[in-house]
Amino acid sequence: MRKNKAMIFWFCLPALLSLVIMFVYPVTRTVIMSFFQVESVTATTADWSFYGLGNYTKIFGSASFMTSMRNMLLIWIVGGVITLALAMLMAVVVTSGIRGKKFFRAAIYMPNIISAVALATMWIQYIFNYDYGLLNEIVQLFGGDKVKWLGTDLKFWAMTGSFIFGSVGYYMLIYISGIEGIPQDLYEAATIDGAGKGRQFFDITLPLLKGVIKTSITFWSINTTTFFLWTKMFSPIDTESSTIVPVIYLYDMVFGGKGITTRDAGAGAAVGVVLTLIIIAVYLVTEQLFKGSDLEY
Amino acid sequence: MKKILSVLLAAVMVLTMLAGCSSKPEPTPDSDPSNTPANSTTPSNSSEPTPGGKQYDGVTLTMWSMWSTGEPQANVITEAAKAFEEKTGAKVNIEFKGRDVNKVLAASLEAGEKFDIFEDDYKRIGTVYQDFTYDLTDMAKAVNYDSFSYKCFTDQSIAWAGYLNAITEQPNVGGIFYDKDAFSKAGVTAEPKTWAEFLDACQKLKDAGIGPLAQDSAYADFAFYHTLVRYLGEDKIAELDQNGGWSGTAAEQAAQDIIDLRNKGFLADGAPDEYPSSQNKIGFGQAAMVICADYVTAEVNGTTGTQVNWGLFNYPAVDGGVDNGAAYMGANSLAITKYSENAQAAFDFIIFLTTGEMGQKLADEAHQIPADSRNTAPADLTGTIETLQAAQSPMTWCASLSVNADLKDSIKSLCVELFEGKYATGADFCAALDALY
Repeated sequence: MRKNKAMIFWFCLPALLSLVIMFVYPVTRTVIMSFFQVESVTATTADWSFYGLGNYTKIFGSASFMTSMRNMLLIWIVGGVITLALAMLMAVVVTSGIRGKKFFRAAIYMPNIISAVALATMWIQYIFNYDYGLLNEIVQLFGGDKVKWLGTDLKFWAMTGSFIFGSVGYYMLIYISGIEGIPQDLYEAATIDGAGKGRQFFDITLPLLKGVIKTSITFWSINTTTFFLWTKMFSPIDTESSTIVPVIYLYDMVFGGKGITTRDAGAGAAVGVVLTLIIIAVYLVTEQLFKGSDLEY
Repeated sequence: MKKILSVLLAAVMVLTMLAGCSSKPEPTPDSDPSNTPANSTTPSNSSEPTPGGKQYDGVTLTMWSMWSTGEPQANVITEAAKAFEEKTGAKVNIEFKGRDVNKVLAASLEAGEKFDIFEDDYKRIGTVYQDFTYDLTDMAKAVNYDSFSYKCFTDQSIAWAGYLNAITEQPNVGGIFYDKDAFSKAGVTAEPKTWAEFLDACQKLKDAGIGPLAQDSAYADFAFYHTLVRYLGEDKIAELDQNGGWSGTAAEQAAQDIIDLRNKGFLADGAPDEYPSSQNKIGFGQAAMVICADYVTAEVNGTTGTQVNWGLFNYPAVDGGVDNGAAYMGANSLAITKYSENAQAAFDFIIFLTTGEMGQKLADEAHQIPADSRNTAPADLTGTIETLQAAQSPMTWCASLSVNADLKDSIKSLCVELFEGKYATGADFCAALDALY
């Protein structure tokens, strides 16, 4: 037994060291840094000066940060509801025994294998384009006036819509795997008992997918808090308040933006800590809401 | 036996991992050049050739480039590195890191990363990296740099950093770039000098069925900045940007000018549009002018596949303006790390790249203003060398609107809204600006 314990230690050591060096150390350093005034992310601790909650006061008093938080919240709630609902709907349709199941599954998942940069370019240049974009072609077909989809009023929603388009397939696959794991006997028994498709969905599929839904909400929360590339694509030259999200605010704060030569790694660390706390909070709430959802069947 | 074997295996795994985390090994002559540290070879601060060899035999330089592989600038730099090696014996390893190199430069310099030369905007070199850059004053003097460089950039670099720490690679001038053929078609015979003349030219262009001014939202703040600087000057803008109090100042008139411009229908159809849709309209003959820096000419020509007959004039003067001659001038420049052990070789390579034959090639291939004023500008950029030589104090790229970094994004969005026609009067716009504070 003692021999085995030694083995366990030696075999765990590389992984433990990796964890400490690549995860525990940076996280601890970032948390500590958020309480100090630090200009550069690589500054030695000798250059840090204690700032208390100053960095947190600064970011929560910042109009840009609050705008970025509002944008993130909207993406999380509105985008999340639409994405997860669409993904669930498509997963149910695809697994309902329709013909061409493989085709639909591949087609809906397709945006996930295309580079997000290419996808965003397609939306910006070919769908939202004011002069020859697909949407304005449709609007004009029905006699309407051209719409500025990428104007300050609609740019955020244009970006969110594009992001949803690129995300649905991923969550659909998660739901498909969950649905396919549910024993067919349950549906057959329900059918014999006279339950319709709707009743089967709400009374069998949905309750048995609780664990999968919990996972997908956590994934969506992580995707939303790390939302970066789509903002960069929809604000190609410089950050704009209609598309700014906290990670972009952090990025500009730590590394400086176009025309900005000041840097504040301490405030950036505070943003990182806030985002981490949000993810933890969302995880704990979903754990609580979906308690006892890990069913075995 | 099994126990010993297991312990050995575990030890090998740990050692392998630690080896992966260790610093780079000392290079060998046949090691991968991309991994070779900048100071990996015998330092050679002397310009004297080794007996029987070339001047920098054995010297290896590492350059972090802001361009990406395949770009015209990258191609010329690669070619220059080969030619420099043939000429001097110094090997230049170039790492093309793309535009976002500026996001890692400060941290890398602070960490003492091993590279000799890097590229970035000359303002960042002067104001962010100045503690980590080599003083080039003496080396520049030795090659009589002042005689072929642009004084406005040299003076500005020294003003920012306290010493010369950047050599201009890609100078830029800003203003109103226009399609000469569109002007001729509309009967605009002279470049507008005043706001009234500018409005008159816009009217003629509109009457001729050409959208007068292209405007992408990405550059809305830059365009408005021109008007603002004329009415207020950069120092006053910086003060207002920091503390607010825009209402009641000449900023109201500046905003009103843009509102009038829009209300008269002088913006191209769809403007402000998403970059680069509006500026591309010049290539398609649907718009005549755009407020931008000189690279817009290459962008439009390249994207639309046309050869626009470009002209450039400075943003028009306004009545009662305090800085009517302000014109944007900027540069991407090259700098040498303070800790480079081959600074002289690095400097010689920079001069080799930016002047003479290679400098001309860079200007021609990348369609840019030559960094060497003795060279010739591409046809579309004729006159830009003289403009830069005559310039005293360059206007920055919205620097005064970036003083309050926290409000920069919000102010930019308000500028876009100004061009979108969201504000009825200049006073409304300034009130919206003040509401941010």
